[in-house]
Amino acid sequence: MSLTDVSTTVSSDSKDASPGKSAVATASAGRSDPFLIVPISLFFILMTFAVIRSPSLVSASGIGSATIVATPLILATYALMASVIAGRGTVDLSIGPLIGFINVTLVQLVTNGYFANPFAFFGLAFLLGAGYQLIFALIVIYVRVQPIIVSLSGFLALSGINLVILPRPGGLSPEWMASWGLGRTVYSPPLAVLAIATVAWLLFTRTAFFTHLRLMGSDERAAYTSGVPITIVRIGAHIISGLFAALAAVCFTALISSGDPSQGTTYTLIAVTALVLGGASLAGGRAGVFGSALGALNLYLITFVLATFSFGAVQSFVTDLAYGTILVASLLLTLVLPLIQKYISNFSPLLYFVAIGVVVLGVTLHSVMGYGPLSEAVVPPPFPGPLDMTAAMTGIFEVSQLDPTTEALREAARPLIWGAGLLVALAVLARVAVTRGHSREVAPVIFLIIGLIVLGVSYSMTREDGLLFQQPTVETKP
Amino acid sequence: MSFFDENRPLSLATRLLGLILGGGLTLLSIIFGFIQGVPVPAIILYALTTITLFFFGWKFVLPHFLIATEKKDEAEEGPGPFRLILIKYYPALIVLGLILIAFFILGAGFDGFLSGWTVASLVILLTIIVATRTIGPVFETNRSAFIGIMVLIGLFTVGAFNIEGFSSSSNIRSMLLFAAFLGMACVGQTLVALLGGLDLSIPFIIGASNVGMLYLISLGVPPWLAFCCVLVIGGLLGVMNGLLSFRLQGQALIVTLGTGFAISGSVQIITSIGTAYGGNVFGVVPGWLSNLAAMNGRTFGIPIPPTIVIWFLTTLILVVGMRMTVYGRYLYALGVNRISAKRVMISELKYWVMAYGLSGFFSALTGALLLGWSGGGFIGVGEQYLFLTLAAVVVGGTSLMGGQGGYGFTVIGVLVLQVLTSFLVGIGLDYEWQQFIFGLLIVPMVALYARTPHIRTQI
Repeated sequence: MSLTDVSTTVSSDSKDASPGKSAVATASAGRSDPFLIVPISLFFILMTFAVIRSPSLVSASGIGSATIVATPLILATYALMASVIAGRGTVDLSIGPLIGFINVTLVQLVTNGYFANPFAFFGLAFLLGAGYQLIFALIVIYVRVQPIIVSLSGFLALSGINLVILPRPGGLSPEWMASWGLGRTVYSPPLAVLAIATVAWLLFTRTAFFTHLRLMGSDERAAYTSGVPITIVRIGAHIISGLFAALAAVCFTALISSGDPSQGTTYTLIAVTALVLGGASLAGGRAGVFGSALGALNLYLITFVLATFSFGAVQSFVTDLAYGTILVASLLLTLVLPLIQKYISNFSPLLYFVAIGVVVLGVTLHSVMGYGPLSEAVVPPPFPGPLDMTAAMTGIFEVSQLDPTTEALREAARPLIWGAGLLVALAVLARVAVTRGHSREVAPVIFLIIGLIVLGVSYSMTREDGLLFQQPTVETKP
Repeated sequence: MSFFDENRPLSLATRLLGLILGGGLTLLSIIFGFIQGVPVPAIILYALTTITLFFFGWKFVLPHFLIATEKKDEAEEGPGPFRLILIKYYPALIVLGLILIAFFILGAGFDGFLSGWTVASLVILLTIIVATRTIGPVFETNRSAFIGIMVLIGLFTVGAFNIEGFSSSSNIRSMLLFAAFLGMACVGQTLVALLGGLDLSIPFIIGASNVGMLYLISLGVPPWLAFCCVLVIGGLLGVMNGLLSFRLQGQALIVTLGTGFAISGSVQIITSIGTAYGGNVFGVVPGWLSNLAAMNGRTFGIPIPPTIVIWFLTTLILVVGMRMTVYGRYLYALGVNRISAKRVMISELKYWVMAYGLSGFFSALTGALLLGWSGGGFIGVGEQYLFLTLAAVVVGGTSLMGGQGGYGFTVIGVLVLQVLTSFLVGIGLDYEWQQFIFGLLIVPMVALYARTPHIRTQI
C-alpha cells in the first residue's frame, strides 16, 4: 500500500537513515505517492492560466490577498484531514459549521468587550474547537454510532446554534487583528499561522502516534490486535482536527473582520472537495498536508481564473460548472494512476512539484514582465499577406515590442532562471542517485537543494526593487 | 421478513382469550359510538378497524413476547431479577434519570412550566423510552421501524395535545404533502445507501429540473412533454452519475457532488442565454401541474393533493418490489456482501447504475412537482434536501454501509422529521432552533438501534 505523502517520505527518510534499519531503507527507497500527480499538475495548469490571465496575482499585494483568502480554506482542509485519516469513514461534515461556531462565538464576545487579548482569543478558539471534537470522538467511541451520522448531527445542530448566536453577519473582530485582513504584503500573519500549522503537522507525522493513527485508519482491527490504544489515538486525531478548525476560524475572522453564521455549508463542501482533490482517501489512512494544501489552493485558483473572464450574469454558474467538471475529471484521473505507477515506479512528488514549478515560474516571469494588455496589442492577422514565421510562433504569447525597462529586467532575471534550472537538474540527479544506489545518505541533499530554491524565490520577493515581481510600468497606464 | 414469516402458534387458551378481549373491545367501541351519536357508517368502520388491528396484534405481536419470556426463563441463574434489569438497562436508566432531573430543574426555574400538558408530554416521552428499551429488543429485525413508529406516535400525541389545530385535517394534509416531497427525494438516497453509496447530487437535480421545466414551458414546449423530458433527462443524469462513480465507490460522495455542481451550473447557463435576467426564468405553470402539488389539489374529486397519492403508490411499489422481486433481493444481496453477490453472477455495475438512475429520476420528479407547488422556478429549491435526505434515511434506520433497511424505513424517517418540524413550528420555534434540535435528536435516535458492535467483537 502506498500510504505515503510527501510528509511521510520526510519521516521515513530520516528514520531509515539509521544503520540498523538498512534493510527497511532498501525496501522503501524510492517509495512513491502517485496520488499527488493530479493535484500538482492541476495546480500548475491553473497557475499558468491565472498568471497569463491576470499577472497582478504575482505582485506582492496579489499574493498577499490570495494568501489571506486561501488560508482559512487550507486550514479547514487540514482540520478535515486530521479526522479523515482516523478511518471508519469519518468525513466530518460539521467542520464548516464548527468554524462558523468558533467565529461567531469569538466575534460576539469581542464585540461585547471580552477576550480581546490575543492569548485569550486564541485560547478560547482552541478550547472550543478541541472541546467540540472531543465530544465528537467520545460519541463515536462510546455510543458507537457511525461518525458520518454524528457529523451530520453536528452539522445541523451547529448551523442552527450559529444563527442563534449571531442572527446576521456583523460584529467586530479584535483591534489587533485589523491589519491581518489587508493583504498588502506577501508575509502576513495568516501566512505565519498557516506555516506554523503546516510545520506542526509535519513534526507530528514523525511521531509514533501518527504511525498508529495511519494504521488505525487503514485497518482498525489490525491496529487493535497489535496493541494500538485506538481509543486514545482516535481522541487525539479529533482534538488535532479541532485545533486546526480553531486556527481556520481565527483566519476566517481575520479575513472578513466580523462574524458570519451562514458560511458553514460552503466551508464543509469546499474542505471535503479540497481534501479529495488533494489525493486523500475518504476511507481513511491516506491524507497529507501537502496534498490538502494543494487541493485547497486549486479550488481557490479555479475561482480566481474564472473571475478573470467576465461572464456577466452567468459568472457564478460558469464557476459551478467548471468546479464540478474539474472535480469529477480529476477523480477519474486517479483511476489511471495505477498504470502510471507501473512505468514510473519511483515517482517523487516533491521533485515533480519543483520541476514543473520552475517551468511555471518561467511563464510567470514572462507574463509579469508585461507587454501591455492583450487588447491593445496589434495581433497580426493569421492568413492574409505573407506569413511572418517569428510572429506566428510567438504571437500567442508575445503581443507587443520589448521596451528597455523590461529588457533590463530580463537581464537581471537571467542568472536567477539559470540558477534555478541548475538546481533542479542537481535535484533530479540526486534523486536518481538515491533510488538507483539504494542509499538514503544522499537524500538530505535533495532537501538542501529545494531549500535553496525556496530561499532564492523568497529573497527575490522581498527585494525592494522587486527583482521578480515588480508591477511593470506599462500596465499601470489606463 | 422474519417478523411475519415465522409461524408461531398460540395455545388454545390464548386464542380464546384474544377472541373474547377483541370482541369485548369492539362491543365497547360500538356502545360508545352510539352514546356519542356518531353516524352509523363511521361506527361500523371504526369497529372493523378496531377488531382487525386487535387480531393482527394478537396474532403477530404477542408470540414475540411469549417466546421472549420463555427465553428469559431459561437464564434463571446469576444475579437477581432487579439487578439483572439494572445491568441490562443502565444506560437507559441514566438517561431517564437525567431527563427527570432536567425536568424538575426546569419546573422549579420557570413559572407555569409544570402545567398539565407538559407533565402529560413528559409521561409520553418516558413511556417511549421505556417501551423502546423493554419491548424494542423483542423486535429483532425491525427495531428501527418500531422505534420510529413509537416516536411518531408520541410526537403526534404530544403535538395534538399541546398545539391547537395540530391534528386538524388541513395540518395533516400539509404535513403529508411536505413529507411526500421529502419522501420522493429520499427514494434515490435510500436505494443508493442500500448499496453502500451516497448521492449528494439530489438537491442539484431537483433545482435543475425545477428551473429546466419552467424554461421548456416558456420556450413553448407543451407542458406534458416538458414534464416527460425533465424526467427522462433526470434519469439519464442519474445513470451518468452511476457510471462515473462506479469505479470510485469510496468517493461516490464527492463524484456526485461534482456532477451536481456541473448540472446545476450548466442548466443555469442554458436557461440564462438570451435573457437579461441571469438565473431567473419566467413562465406560466399549467393548471394540472399546480393541482398535482398544491395544498388544495384534488385527486379525482377527493380533496387530497395527488402528490401524496403518487408518493403512496411509489412507496407501495418500492416496498413490495424490494421484498418480492428479484431486483429487490439482488440489491440487498449486493449491499450485504459485494463479493459473494458477484460470485452468483449478479452484475454490480447494472444495479449500481440502476440505483443512481432511479435517484436521478425521482429527484427530477420532485423538482417538477415542487414547480407545481411554488409556481415559479428557483434553482435553490432543493438546497435543504442536501442533508435532510441523508437525515431521513439515517433516522429511518437504513444503514449507510449498505444492505440493511429499505424504503419503508425511510418513509418512517421522513414522517418523523416532518411531524417534528411541524411540532417545532407549532410551539413557535424559529428555523435555527428547529435545526439545532434536529441535530441533537439524530444521534440519540440512531443510537437506539444502529450501534456498531465493539471492535473486539469484530475480530
